[in-house]
Amino acid sequence: MNFFLEGIYQTVGEHLPMWLMMLIAAVTGIAVVLGMVSLIAMFSVWLERKVSGHIQCRYGPMYVGWHGWLQSIADGVKLLLKEDMIPRDADRVLFMLAPGLVLAAILGAFAAYPLSPGIWFGDIDLGVFMIIAFSSMTTIGVVMAGWASNSKWTIYGSMREAAQVVAYEIPLGVSLLVPVMVAGTFNLREASALQADWFGMKWFLFTNPFMLPAFVLYFIAALAETKRAPFDLPEAESELVAGFMTEYSGIRWSFFFMEEYAAMFLMSALGAVFFLGGFESPLTHFAGEFFGKELVVVGASGAKELNFAAIPYHLVAAVTLIAKCFFGVFLMMWLRWTLPRVRIDQVMTMGYKYLTPLSLLCVLGAALWEAGKHALFGS
Amino acid sequence: MDFQAIHDRLRAVAAPGLVGADLPRKPDPKVKKDKGRAGDPFVIVEAQRLVEFLEVCRDDDRLKFEQLVDLSATDPAKDDAQLWINVQLLSLKFRHRLSIKCLLPKAAPSMPSTVPVYRASQWHERECAEMFGITFVGHPDPRNILLPDDWVGSPLRKDYEFPKEYHGISCE
Amino acid sequence: MTRETQSTPAASTRVQRLGAGELSVDIRTPDLEVNFGPQHPATHGVMRILMRADGELVTGAQPHLGYLHRCAEKIGENVEWLQYLPYTDRYDYLASMNNNLGYSLAVEALLGVEIPRRATLIRIICAELNRIGSHLVAFGTYGLDIGAFTPFLYTFREREWMMALFEKICGARLTYSYIRIGGLFNDAPPGWFEEVSRFCDVFEQKWQEYVDLLLVNQIYVKRTANIGIISREMALDFGLTGPMVRGSGIDWDLRRDMPYMCYDEIWRSGAFKIPIARGEMGALGDCWDRSWVRVMEMIESIKIVRWCLDNMVEGPVIADIPKTLKVPVGEAYVGIENPRGELGHYVVSDGGKVSIRTRVRGPSFCNLAVLEDILPGSLVGDAIAIIGSTDIVVGETDR
Repeated sequence: MNFFLEGIYQTVGEHLPMWLMMLIAAVTGIAVVLGMVSLIAMFSVWLERKVSGHIQCRYGPMYVGWHGWLQSIADGVKLLLKEDMIPRDADRVLFMLAPGLVLAAILGAFAAYPLSPGIWFGDIDLGVFMIIAFSSMTTIGVVMAGWASNSKWTIYGSMREAAQVVAYEIPLGVSLLVPVMVAGTFNLREASALQADWFGMKWFLFTNPFMLPAFVLYFIAALAETKRAPFDLPEAESELVAGFMTEYSGIRWSFFFMEEYAAMFLMSALGAVFFLGGFESPLTHFAGEFFGKELVVVGASGAKELNFAAIPYHLVAAVTLIAKCFFGVFLMMWLRWTLPRVRIDQVMTMGYKYLTPLSLLCVLGAALWEAGKHALFGS
Repeated sequence: MDFQAIHDRLRAVAAPGLVGADLPRKPDPKVKKDKGRAGDPFVIVEAQRLVEFLEVCRDDDRLKFEQLVDLSATDPAKDDAQLWINVQLLSLKFRHRLSIKCLLPKAAPSMPSTVPVYRASQWHERECAEMFGITFVGHPDPRNILLPDDWVGSPLRKDYEFPKEYHGISCE
Repeated sequence: MTRETQSTPAASTRVQRLGAGELSVDIRTPDLEVNFGPQHPATHGVMRILMRADGELVTGAQPHLGYLHRCAEKIGENVEWLQYLPYTDRYDYLASMNNNLGYSLAVEALLGVEIPRRATLIRIICAELNRIGSHLVAFGTYGLDIGAFTPFLYTFREREWMMALFEKICGARLTYSYIRIGGLFNDAPPGWFEEVSRFCDVFEQKWQEYVDLLLVNQIYVKRTANIGIISREMALDFGLTGPMVRGSGIDWDLRRDMPYMCYDEIWRSGAFKIPIARGEMGALGDCWDRSWVRVMEMIESIKIVRWCLDNMVEGPVIADIPKTLKVPVGEAYVGIENPRGELGHYVVSDGGKVSIRTRVRGPSFCNLAVLEDILPGSLVGDAIAIIGSTDIVVGETDR
């Protein structure tokens, strides 16, 4: 918002009232988020099909564009043109609201995602908290979808989803506490900036021996939160036809899938920012040295102006973070196509009996380690 | 044990309901138009005493037929007044089989259910019942198994007439 | 979780006064009656199981069959002996060669005809290759039921090769009608045996992939071990055969114990073993044991095929059978070892061109009966695993 507001102020001038400027900034932000999420979803769909294809000794989409890169667009067009079916006995209002709620929640969570060290939608000091809270709201949408479909199989899917998400909220949050504790902030941008030393390689993952187990636990919990295999029971295809999504078709179904890929991206983003350095990498470091980092500088005339020379640095930083996120997404896809599905009571057992105590132990260990470090070596 | 030995053992333990045996034979040149009989030997057992007979087969130390492999029925001809019940038994311990045949009157075929002896016959008897109209007295779950619940007639009988329509759908 | 096999009454609240100021309140909610099928990705065909479930716990299961009933037995009484052969392909369509074989052996038992040795050996090769193909489908789709999407593609990759082999020999990929009464339809084309040999070599390496990727995968083991335990007594009482019975530790295989064709020769030469489950990963007779038996049987089939290739002879591939066959009066029952169990054909002839009874004893039909007893008490996810482990083909269940 900061940059958007500044930018609008500079270009359009002081003539506009503050509320209009904020409105324009907000709408621009929303448009950027929507565009980003759509692009992420389209790319993820293509990536999933290619990754699954190559793991299964086949190619995946090859005809629609070079190596099938237009397949997502073709699928999107097909889904838009499909007949919109709502079961006769379904709860119409809830049925139509559910995909919207699910997508709205995840889009809201994107507000905390920093585009680059200087461009963000809102410098939210409780970034982590906000992302986790918003992505939990998608569960309400899933339960709504399962209930509103008026089918016993969908009920199974949504009950499993509710149970699973509740079980894995604790390991998710607690394992994220480890790097948050080390960073001292919930803010994604600040946490990323703290990992800039050692030529952009002082990632939190390397600074504390309890970070690696925390990262593994976080990743497993993220898999369960996003309903990805081996925890894809809510949509367990071979058991429940399509779980809570059974009665959805066309664009409503694609909303659920956009939410799934957006959630995968966001969870990977959290992992990338807090464990894998966020924006920082050797490439970003040298780009920063070469191009300069400040996007808004005080110019010769004393007014704030846009420093175009720093744009490449911000581009490199943004691409670094996106690459790390997609690495996480790729890892999730890899696991989906390799491992079988865990049964629901085994999922719950794992969540409550193993992951929760282990993540608490990680927090304790990390805290003791940090305290010991401070005691022995100073700050 | 081969069939002769099994038959001898059955007679030795006085298996209930045992009527006789039928063995394959070459055509007898002295009898006109005798085609002989090919295939397997089988024992003939009274239908109403099949349950006790099967118990003996299952429990006897020298027979030990642990498994009932098949229970089916045959309608030999349109003008034949009898239905056949064919039972195939298998002994894993002694590696021998036994074919049993029972005869039922076609007019009102009814016999006690063999489910108490072998659970395997539960579904086989359901199929015989719906296909041939045989009543198995004491069967725990006498519903149609392959045919719809409201099917009329016994399809595998030789005098079965195909329906012209079913629930308004033409069967021509 | 307690095991309940009776349906609960309608929703009610039972309040019991225990003593001064003490109450016991028991709220019972009605069980959920879910229709598992007839259209469902995990029922391996068109079958319906009416499940009663208390949440995730299955309290009752009733299979409903007949969706794929195609009156095979009635047709057997209306077409000539040789004309019936394509119908036999279609009951267990995953193992068509074995169905053809069972029917042909039953009629040949009545005919009393001698089958040329080359025909017998090629019959065994085709039956065993089909067994491999059938087990590949069973294992791959079982992984799919459990949630592992990839092994399914790998098993089908090998199955494509097997189907290409069969396409070369008889022109069809799924329903072959190749093994005829008296022998085979035609001789193997030149180069076919070499390709079968190559297939055997490659398959042994690929087989290891399936074991590593799925069979010993911890999640797979946790989903299938100690689930759907069939005890020895239950297996015998229900007339189960094939991997269902070997998975419960019972040492029984028709190829060795009641041999047909030249399986006794192959067994005596020590070419193959019979895998009997030992309860490695859990209780004896669980789903994991049954899938282990199927995976191990694939390698044993390769050994049988290799023996036949090594001992192949030249000669005719069909005995002298008239085009319009009249089978002598009599009746015969012949049971063979289908990939799913004992496939029995009971044929009755009155000397004419048409059989008066062609009874098919389908192993899937008999194996399915056990579901009513082992499903209650398991979770819904386990129910899927158990149904998959029975490896039924609904074409054979319904005929």
